[in-house]
Amino acid sequence: MKPTVFRPFVINSLVVCLALSAGARTRSRYGGALRIETQSDPWRFPDGVARKLVFDGLTRVDDSGVVLPELAIRWESQNDNHRWQFWLRPGIRFHDGAALTPAAVAASLSQSCAKQCPWDGLSTVGNSLVFVGDSAMPQLPAELARSMYLVARQHDAAEPSGTGPFRVTNVTNGVVSLAANSDYWQGRPFVDTVQVEGKRSLRDQWLDLSVGRADIVEVPAELLHQAVQDRLMVLASHPTDLLVLSVSSKGALHNDQLRQAIALAVDRSALFNVIFQKEGEPTGSLLPAVLTGYGFLFPTERDITRARNYRAGASASPMVLTIDNPDASTQLVAERIVLNLREAGLNAQVRPPSSQSTPDLVLKRIHLEAGDAAAALDEMLEDLGQKIPEETGNPDVLYKTERDFLKTYQAIPLLYLPRALAFSERVRDLRLTGDGTPMIVDVSIDGAK
Amino acid sequence: MQVQMRVAGYNPRQPMISHRRPLLLLFVLVLLVPARASISWDNPADELAKQIAAIAGPGPAKLTVKNRSAIPADQVAAIRRTLERQLRSYGVTASGSAEVATVIRVTLSQNLQHELWVAEVQEGAEVKVVMVSTDPPAAAAPSSSAGVTIRKAFLLAEEMPILDVDFVSVGDERRMIVLEPERLTTYRQNAGTWVKDQIFDIAHSRPLPRDPRGRIVLGTSAASGHLFDVYLPGVVCGGSESNGRLLLSCNDSDDPWPVVSQKAFYNSTRNYFTGVLAPGYSTQPGPFYNAAEYARSGGTVTLFSQTNGQVVLYDKGVPKIITGTRDWGSDIASIHSACGEGSLLLVSAAGAAPIDSVRAYEIPGREAIPVSGPMPLDGSVMAMWPTNDAATATVVIRKEQPGQYEAYSVSAVCN
Repeated sequence: MKPTVFRPFVINSLVVCLALSAGARTRSRYGGALRIETQSDPWRFPDGVARKLVFDGLTRVDDSGVVLPELAIRWESQNDNHRWQFWLRPGIRFHDGAALTPAAVAASLSQSCAKQCPWDGLSTVGNSLVFVGDSAMPQLPAELARSMYLVARQHDAAEPSGTGPFRVTNVTNGVVSLAANSDYWQGRPFVDTVQVEGKRSLRDQWLDLSVGRADIVEVPAELLHQAVQDRLMVLASHPTDLLVLSVSSKGALHNDQLRQAIALAVDRSALFNVIFQKEGEPTGSLLPAVLTGYGFLFPTERDITRARNYRAGASASPMVLTIDNPDASTQLVAERIVLNLREAGLNAQVRPPSSQSTPDLVLKRIHLEAGDAAAALDEMLEDLGQKIPEETGNPDVLYKTERDFLKTYQAIPLLYLPRALAFSERVRDLRLTGDGTPMIVDVSIDGAK
Repeated sequence: MQVQMRVAGYNPRQPMISHRRPLLLLFVLVLLVPARASISWDNPADELAKQIAAIAGPGPAKLTVKNRSAIPADQVAAIRRTLERQLRSYGVTASGSAEVATVIRVTLSQNLQHELWVAEVQEGAEVKVVMVSTDPPAAAAPSSSAGVTIRKAFLLAEEMPILDVDFVSVGDERRMIVLEPERLTTYRQNAGTWVKDQIFDIAHSRPLPRDPRGRIVLGTSAASGHLFDVYLPGVVCGGSESNGRLLLSCNDSDDPWPVVSQKAFYNSTRNYFTGVLAPGYSTQPGPFYNAAEYARSGGTVTLFSQTNGQVVLYDKGVPKIITGTRDWGSDIASIHSACGEGSLLLVSAAGAAPIDSVRAYEIPGREAIPVSGPMPLDGSVMAMWPTNDAATATVVIRKEQPGQYEAYSVSAVCN
């Protein structure tokens, strides 16, 4: 298990080796244009690449899970975490020149989460925002670091205005053009412009990188091995994407022994070895081991004998398995799971999502943004439609919360996968945040003038 | 790889040591490392033993210890012994017998922030889990060696960028001054340790550039009370002394910075000097990151590390391209040396983050000749300035994991 936990670091080391021979290091140079290509819409709410370049959050979480100030310079909790007050950084302006005010931030936040906000009331006091909740909100500072709480003026506009390192200059045909914000409060980015082209197939992205038409492209986990073999410069994150099988508790699956049979029948090692070419890590827990340190307590081994025993006597009507946002790799995973279940005497079929019926099993890919374990568990449980417990502060409580939920077998964690990028030789100082987001603001271009 | 991971990911702050006695304190630190390591296991071992005993109760138990963390293998046995001792104090005796009813499986694990020690206590079919978090112990620093040997003495570590560090004398007392983008901090020595004394906020009327730089230049007229100047993008400050206390006064200013015997205008929205010098040469250099004066038998020459990657040598005002600089990074500083011609040029290395190094060169003609091996650094060089007496250079590195800045005093000794 340990070698897989540290696999991303091995990949990063490899990148460093390749980069060393790429050119001399000097201080970062200003100027130049950076071209990024992605499969998804760069302007997608809440976590499109372009959005993260244009907007800031009130807080951010660093690689070690510590919550740091961003647009908020400080905060404090009162009334046992039922009331939080965040003070805004003074002197910040949106790209359109408007001042960053508590009212503008409150409007943005309320629009972001609509009626599902983790707070029950939000008001402004002087240069601060006050969040109040009927339930305690111990993770609110970390929660506010998530992409959905990035602060924007006019969220719905074609070119909304933010306070981030880049401002929008144009959005045409899925291509977002950005220019450096010279007055950025953390210092102007090194590159002058960034062009983010979305909805590009992986094949086109890699082709564009090879002929110098793109600087940064995506590398899915299953192609990491190939990318390294092709001598691409690759940067991979910690495991940040959880492949999880969500199991209904209705109908025949109301029987928890049947749900347990499904969990025991799934062969994670086959998914890991065959489909993902040993990238990422098999997981029996919702949170990655690198974040909690206790992942090994959740078994990942298949036990087909026990699966058959638990299945015995259960009704044999075929289960429907659908895929949330399917792609080539999740399609393969779903088909493999169907085979695994069949070996345990369980009948399932992969079908496209239908509005007419609720599937028995849903294969989901959940991206974990939070770098703080407690906030990450909140995020994960929320994504799985679960109620979030009030206090998940220390590892012991986190473990018990996770264990108790997984004992219901309504979610079967399968694999944790890294996010990875390939980049051209002219890209300097590219790093990834804990959740795999490229830190474009620190990137410079070799040879820029 | 595991040890490297540990250094990269969990290197803790190091205690500050005296600038004057680096060797003595280095020796003390070497002595302290194992002691600190053993001390650091006691608390988590005791806490875990207490929690185990609360579940298992007194009596014999089979104990296994598995290491899934970056703790070196040779320390696991010590941890096991500590754990056994603590368990005994709570009445739980570790037994090798397979017949005992209680099995305790301890796993030394880790997450991004801490080490996590997990105990699974099995009695029959029932397994109960307890865990404790702990911080990892210190890691040893690397060393370097070659013809001329470059040595580094640790000065301090901070999470905020360190731009420069220097030392001033206030009366008979030596103080360390540390420049950050938005403040200047002074330290006084107390029982061999540098302790924070005064903090001066430095206001900026416009945002600092992404790669902020700054320099402390000690004054030459201490008699008047003026001790030093501080240069930052768009800001110049004057430091003085009054009744044993330091005072700092800052103003918006684009005045040129004293870099060598010339003054150089800094581009306050970027991270380089414009290339405009005062009084200047008949042919000015291009924009440059850093400059250094190098004394050699034919006279003193000036080198400019230009933003286009070239290093230009000015000899009596005439620019010349020198060779042997292909592996150079952007930071250079000249220090006095008892070896060779009297000067050594310290140069940061080519290569990508997160590793970097500093190497010493001599330039007898138009070729830079390395005279030391590269001194490895556990991060990227972000600043390198010679101290006022040019006996040493202050080198600041940025470590990738965790994001932390460390300042060192770098000197050279002849072999």
